[in-house]
Amino acid sequence: MENFDLLLHGFSIAISVDHVALMIGGVLLGILVGVLPGLGAPNGVSLLLPITFGMQPVSAIILLSSIYWGALFGGSVTSILFNIPGEPSSVATTFDGYPMARSGRPTQALATAFGSAAFGALVGVVLITCLASWIAGVALKFGPAEYFAVYFLAFSSFIGVGGAPPIKTVVSLTLGFAIAAIGMDTVSGQVRLTMGVDELVKGVNFVVAVMGLFGIGELLIAVEEEMHARAVSSRIDWREVFRTIASLPRYGWVLLRSAAVGCWMGITPGGPTAASFMSYGIAKRVSRRRDKFGTGEPEGIIAPETADHAAGTSALLPMLSLGIPGSATAAVMMGGLMIWGLNPGPALFIEQPDFVWGLIASMYLGNIVAVVLVLLTVPIFAALMRLPFFFIAPLIFIVCVVGAYSVSNSYLDVLLMMGFGVLGYLFKKLDYPLAPLVLAVVIGDKAEDAFRQSMLMSQGSLRIFVDNALVSTLVGLGFALLLVPPLARTFGRLRKRAA
Amino acid sequence: MFSRRALEALTAAITGAFGIAVIVQSLDNGIGWSTAGVESGTFPFMTGLIVAAGSLYNLARGWLRGREIIVDRVAFRRTLALFLPAAVFVAAIPLVGMYVASAGYLLATLRMQSGLAWLRALAIAILVAIGLYVVFEWSFQVALPHGLLGAWLEH
Repeated sequence: MENFDLLLHGFSIAISVDHVALMIGGVLLGILVGVLPGLGAPNGVSLLLPITFGMQPVSAIILLSSIYWGALFGGSVTSILFNIPGEPSSVATTFDGYPMARSGRPTQALATAFGSAAFGALVGVVLITCLASWIAGVALKFGPAEYFAVYFLAFSSFIGVGGAPPIKTVVSLTLGFAIAAIGMDTVSGQVRLTMGVDELVKGVNFVVAVMGLFGIGELLIAVEEEMHARAVSSRIDWREVFRTIASLPRYGWVLLRSAAVGCWMGITPGGPTAASFMSYGIAKRVSRRRDKFGTGEPEGIIAPETADHAAGTSALLPMLSLGIPGSATAAVMMGGLMIWGLNPGPALFIEQPDFVWGLIASMYLGNIVAVVLVLLTVPIFAALMRLPFFFIAPLIFIVCVVGAYSVSNSYLDVLLMMGFGVLGYLFKKLDYPLAPLVLAVVIGDKAEDAFRQSMLMSQGSLRIFVDNALVSTLVGLGFALLLVPPLARTFGRLRKRAA
Repeated sequence: MFSRRALEALTAAITGAFGIAVIVQSLDNGIGWSTAGVESGTFPFMTGLIVAAGSLYNLARGWLRGREIIVDRVAFRRTLALFLPAAVFVAAIPLVGMYVASAGYLLATLRMQSGLAWLRALAIAILVAIGLYVVFEWSFQVALPHGLLGAWLEH
């Protein structure tokens, strides 16, 4: 009940002319970056980060999170109308969304996607409303050892259930840690890993890494496959929209299951991409209409879309209550929080209740704004996709270069971004996951501090990580998750042999 | 053009080299336990070790896995067609500044790659440069680099 009062208070903050205007602007911008291949939610959010420095933190987070919602929706538009996923997390939507749109039912495909997406997001926000302050309350009692154990658990779940090849995930993650360590060490004041480049004393900003890995990397991938934007009609028939959304409850079980998959993957940092694929896979395996999958089956749109948005939304739960972001975009937002002088984590609920509950309330509103705006603007953004890619690509490139430079007015950052771009291209090509790298760059220092403080407390003994029931459970769970990939492989082999 | 094997090897070499560099550099900061606690090189040292070991594993595994071509000649040419002009653009920034460089970059790519008429390409290029100036220098007061050219003009 207390949460409900706090939520109402949050609404009183979120509902103001300024904030609703920010939501609309953010969502529109988000749809734009979501629609354009090569620009995604992490980029959109990092690009606008410098603009938010002069804002109130709550206004800033409303703007950034609205971009996130817009991008999640925008990614689905191009998946369905053009068979080109605007976001990695909407790849699974192309499997049934595009066939349905091509068979003359574009409105039904879009409405199914948006309706289930909104449901997924709603479940995610309700989960945050109910659980966030409780988790934060528990986490307030954490010491450095417990914190390090939670970080460890988060990183192991990337490796264990993230879906990418485990050793590639490990490399991506530890690379991120090493990059985070570059520059001045916050504890000893020593300069580390500058490789002889004096300017690196300031460290490598996560925005630069995001621009390169996601922006340039994705552009290079997108340009490689010549894109024939063979669009289906993008006209929206409003009666059809209402009819489709009214028929969604028939798929109640699919919706609930996909939302559960999404929330789980969002909280354990598997992220929206893994969630949507996993949900699609499960739906295909258990559905009675599994033969129809791939030909425009509604369940094949509902499953990935619900999970995608449930994961995207619930990725903010661990960010708010523990200071561990559940997705790459959440990691960028958390970087923003730190720049605005807030300390993401459980103390936020006590020190900045207006900020936390204003954000949570704005998530309800932002998603409604997003559904309405995306439906209204589909024809406009669809027209944008008809521009040739070689026309848009240089513009996106310039935006990334300017974005990387303006983080700290440094030309070195632009060069670093180019390097990250090449790395991002190679990583994407070879199934290395990018989100763990970004996550590690953002929270690497915090994880290291937690480790070093624990060691100081225990006078250098690793025993502190098994000292009490809580910390040993967390560490044990972490190790158990690390064992998932090899166990799954052995199990699969045994089953194959038995068959 | 490029097999999976070749790209896997290249990527593992990049990450591995970085891992080794991290190991070597963190030794300078000291690793292990001292009276002041964990020395500042310890954590990077461990990450470097894991990166290097993981890269070795990925190298071996990538080498064993298929020789199928994952980037063919056409795809590679398209990627270069985007990347090379972009690299020239970035290289030109310290010389002529962000505005002139981006206008030149746009003019060249729009004319040569998208086949726009000179006049239209020029108009778009100049408009974008002006747009950048208005957004950054004017409304957010973020100075984008003016380059040697800018310094010379101001002089």
